[in-house]
Amino acid sequence: MDLVQLEIEERGDVVIASVSGELDLAGAPSTGEAIGEAVPTSARTLVVDFTKLEFIDSSGIAMLFNLVRRLGARRQELRVVARGGEPVSRVLEIVEFNRAAPVHETLDEALAQVPTDGA
Amino acid sequence: MKELPELFDLRIKARALAYLFTAGAGLAALTLLLPHDPEFRETQIRVVIAIAAVVAAALYRFADRLREVHVQVALAIGTTLLGFANYYAGTSTLYALLYTWAGLYAFYFFNTRMALVHTAYIGVSYAIVLASREPPSPAVRWLLGVGTPLVAGLLISRMLDRLRAGYAEADERGRELRESEARTRLVLDSAPDAFITLDADGVIRGWNRAAERMFGWTAEEAIGEPMRTLITPEEHRDRHEQRRRAMLEDDASSPTSHYEVELLRRDGTRFPAESTVSKVDVRGETLVAGFVRDVTDRRRQQQEREELLREQAARAEAEHVAELVSGMQLLVDAALAHRTLGDIVSDLVTRVRTVLDADAASIFLAEERGLILAAAAGGRAPEPRAEPLPFGEGFAGRVAGRREPMLLQDPEPSELPYPELEDLKIDSVIGLPLLAEGEVIGVLIVCAAAPRHFSADDVSLLRLAADRVALAVDHARVYEREHRIAETLQRSLLPERLPQLPGLSVAARYLPAAAEAEVGGDWYDVLPTPSGGVGLVMGDVAGKGLAAASMVGRLRSALRAYALEGHAPSRVVEQLNRLIWTEEDESQMATLIYAVVDPVAEELRWVNAGHPPPLLLSDGEPPEFLQGGGSVPLGVMPFPDFAEASARIDQGATVVLYTDGLVERPGEHLDTGLKRLASIVDVPSGDPQELCDRVLRALVPHGGAPDDVALLTLHTIPMSDSFSVELPTQPEALASMRALLRRWLRQLGSEQDIAEIVTACGEAATNAIEHAGAAGPFEMSGRIEGQTVDIEVRDFGAWRAAREGDRGRGLSLMQALMDTVEVTPTPEGTTVRLRRTLIQPTSNGDRQ
Repeated sequence: MDLVQLEIEERGDVVIASVSGELDLAGAPSTGEAIGEAVPTSARTLVVDFTKLEFIDSSGIAMLFNLVRRLGARRQELRVVARGGEPVSRVLEIVEFNRAAPVHETLDEALAQVPTDGA
Repeated sequence: MKELPELFDLRIKARALAYLFTAGAGLAALTLLLPHDPEFRETQIRVVIAIAAVVAAALYRFADRLREVHVQVALAIGTTLLGFANYYAGTSTLYALLYTWAGLYAFYFFNTRMALVHTAYIGVSYAIVLASREPPSPAVRWLLGVGTPLVAGLLISRMLDRLRAGYAEADERGRELRESEARTRLVLDSAPDAFITLDADGVIRGWNRAAERMFGWTAEEAIGEPMRTLITPEEHRDRHEQRRRAMLEDDASSPTSHYEVELLRRDGTRFPAESTVSKVDVRGETLVAGFVRDVTDRRRQQQEREELLREQAARAEAEHVAELVSGMQLLVDAALAHRTLGDIVSDLVTRVRTVLDADAASIFLAEERGLILAAAAGGRAPEPRAEPLPFGEGFAGRVAGRREPMLLQDPEPSELPYPELEDLKIDSVIGLPLLAEGEVIGVLIVCAAAPRHFSADDVSLLRLAADRVALAVDHARVYEREHRIAETLQRSLLPERLPQLPGLSVAARYLPAAAEAEVGGDWYDVLPTPSGGVGLVMGDVAGKGLAAASMVGRLRSALRAYALEGHAPSRVVEQLNRLIWTEEDESQMATLIYAVVDPVAEELRWVNAGHPPPLLLSDGEPPEFLQGGGSVPLGVMPFPDFAEASARIDQGATVVLYTDGLVERPGEHLDTGLKRLASIVDVPSGDPQELCDRVLRALVPHGGAPDDVALLTLHTIPMSDSFSVELPTQPEALASMRALLRRWLRQLGSEQDIAEIVTACGEAATNAIEHAGAAGPFEMSGRIEGQTVDIEVRDFGAWRAAREGDRGRGLSLMQALMDTVEVTPTPEGTTVRLRRTLIQPTSNGDRQ
């Protein structure tokens, strides 16, 4: 059941994965798999954009931690976008996700933090 | 002179003669005692007496064994002895008396001729004796004078009596005979039938009045003429003679014969006649007497009756054939009206049996491995047999093998098409192959028991019946095959079970039409939407059968795909219209309602593509048919405007969707049907199952609806301070659970409260799903006391210790989001209890 929708966008060596809907046990494993496969080895950064995500549970968090592990092994970084005060950022706060990867208020802020070659 | 019947048997004659001898011997002995003259020779007389005594004794002793000739010889011996005695007695005339006795005896006991012979012998022997006769002594004269008249008088009077009796008898017989003849003649003359008597030579001896009238010859003219020339046509004369001779020679006791003959009148015309002829003996003469009846009229009546019967039979036969053909035609019509094969064959056998006036009829149907007895009428119902009858075996198998009709006369029990027929005493059986396009598709068996009997003539008529039966069976077979596929397909397209949705209860019914054996294009579906709502589908594809069923299949798959993508109802219906519009078959068309119930927003959004309107039942309000959201049916236009409409759906409200089969009746306005439906559902019900049953009971006639009926009801369970639901242990249930919780908490807390409680409960539910695996549903219940929300999630699986990472994170999330979290593992399962006191909507406290 596709409660969750995923859109992938590549900007240079940055891959932006926008997740909307509700992310729970029903959709998280397949969504994580789809994002992981959408990131080429050439990419430097994956930005997971939760701006339009309405709900996340521990399954969604587990998905994020899996992505962190997977990208870390390839020396790629993960950044998460979640607006503060929303239920999603509340969950991220509770599990202290910012210890594993940076969490940004907006996509622009996240992209601005992406290090550029020789800049 | 006629002989009188013999009055005495030989025994009496012999004994009478013995007495005569004894008396003679006694008389002779008397002469020895009486004074006699010197010429009397005593010695010789004694010898004669002794001989007479011996003869008397012999006659008496052997009376049983004697024959007539012995008695006559004995009398002759007596006469001879008398002559000797007379001679030796000299002048004694005593013996003349004895001569008289002998003569009388002869006349009395012998026939006249023999009596005369004896008398002559007596006269000769007496004459010889008289040659030397001397005058008799006075004593002898005295004896002669008294004894002879006495004895003669007795005997003569006895003889006269006998003669008189004989004459009287003869006279009486003659009188009776004469009277009888007169009566008979009277009867015969007045009889309507001719009475003719022939003598042994075939000459007419009797000819009554009726004979005079019948033949035109008077009695005077006819009597004395031979019958064969007078009234027998020339070509029949030989046969007439043969019969007459045969009758005369036949010694059987009652030789009465009946003949149908043709006879000749005096004017030369001929006429048919029946004669009853008997042989009679009349006073020693053998006659042939017969009654002759003119049967011209009767023959003509009989011919007329036969013609009438023939005509009636012919007409009955024609009507019979016409009835048969029309009866069979009805069956073909019935088959065209799409009835099941089983119905068709049992109807066929009953009808065949009636139409053909057969005692039993049955149909075997061909299958791959042989013949199956599909239906039987008449007699005891046959036991079902598991094994098919191979082609070529049994009567039906042989008919199928030969592909030709077969007639079986006086079958042995083992030869019957099936054993139960034995009870009927079947005496003829016809089996006909049912052929369709050259293939044997079955065998029709028709049986007759006495007095009904089938002959080879019936086979041609039955062939006609078999052709019709084959046509009907073939049609039904082809149809049933297609029907079975369509039905299977359609069944597979209806949801096997409806999804369980927290806070909502759903019920659905599907009733195929009673008369229509073909599946319709009705379908319904219930699916959870990504937003936590419920999609309700009610559709009706135009047409029936395989084509409609497969169209339903495509629409259903497409609708599910679009709906689960989270598209709005109008967008989903738009896509379906595109799908159906691009079908190659341009006639494809469907009506459809797609409605989404959002239990949190308490809203119903729908699109109605040409379908009867949804019905909304809200507490305290009359039933409302939801207008709006309407458009043309799918497949009519390429890009119609599918506008959505929405309505508020309160807690406790019910949505009813249905197909036209529920409300439409022939010759009735649709509004009437809708009003009828509204009146049925006006009484509120919290149970959609009960509501479905009530509606179908009230609106579907006995024996089924004229069209397919689909019915779908959704009821939103009103939520109070507490709830309890059972949820499937599937990840997909989580969204529904969240929708339920949000709906429950909507009035109570802030958005943050709601979001956090929903998240915590989601973790508990995720745990339950992972614990239980496939082992049954889990339960969730909630209660609000004051400002405190108390939620319990209970599963029936094995508790798993918190793993590092994911699940440990779930527990910590719950603990972070709720005031208290209690996890109670038991051998039966795990209970998680979550509690939180609600804060004011404006506050934004951190509970970590």
